[in-house]
Amino acid sequence: MTQQWEMDVAEEKPSEKARAIRARQRAIGRELRRMYDDVAQEQVPDDFMDLLRQIDEAEDKGGKKVS
Amino acid sequence: MPTSAPSAATQKPENPDFKSELLGLVPFLRAFARSLTGNQEAADDLAQETLVKAWQSRSSFIPGTNLKAWLFTILRNQFYSDRRRAWRQAPWDQDAAERIPGGGEDQVHSAELSDTVRALKHLSDEQREALILVGAGGFSYEDAAAICKCAVGTVKSRVARARKTLIEILDGSDTLNDVSRPAGGDAAREIMAQLDQLSPGRSDQVGGKKRLK
Repeated sequence: MTQQWEMDVAEEKPSEKARAIRARQRAIGRELRRMYDDVAQEQVPDDFMDLLRQIDEAEDKGGKKVS
Repeated sequence: MPTSAPSAATQKPENPDFKSELLGLVPFLRAFARSLTGNQEAADDLAQETLVKAWQSRSSFIPGTNLKAWLFTILRNQFYSDRRRAWRQAPWDQDAAERIPGGGEDQVHSAELSDTVRALKHLSDEQREALILVGAGGFSYEDAAAICKCAVGTVKSRVARARKTLIEILDGSDTLNDVSRPAGGDAAREIMAQLDQLSPGRSDQVGGKKRLK
């Protein structure tokens, strides 16, 4: 549960209908975070490391000299 | 020996931590990109473009402020500017992400992609991004508003509408059914029809195997 989400959900009035909606919103929040976290936990593809290496090389060429 | 002279640092913040912080945030850039595009390949292109842009404009980052929000803003801008080009105008398609081969365990996992995530494609871009930033990314309304360049109240109402729409879709589920499921109604009718056919025979059997001639 993210903080903001939890705060919103807690603001709902505690009627029976509101409780049901709250439960649904919690479930939706969980699913969204699962999707997001699943991607965030994947191993970062090599392309990204290559890109940063290229940035490094470009920097070395363009800017300061490496001794 | 430090590679950059102290005098250069005032002009260009060559903070050695900047790159490693950037690297540390790549997983979140990928996650946000995936939820904007709904497509793994497009998402990784977008995240890489963001890295390059971020590096090029690193001097405009104010140290001590929220680097993640800064990066997400760049990513979002890039997303919408790419979107304006015809070749990138693919619709949001999380299903396409599932079809990426070679996923191994990930693929098994994504095959279980929930109805909630599937229903995201029925939201507008604005509602989806607000919902993801607040609901999954853990941003406050204020940070989400800064990333989306809109008022805090606007983000709140987008998130509220997105939640409402998702619940309606999940309750109705009709929209999901036409896309990816065998129609439940038809299957039910078929079973009922089969029962209708079976029941006379069954009652005959219950009554005894012999039929009157």
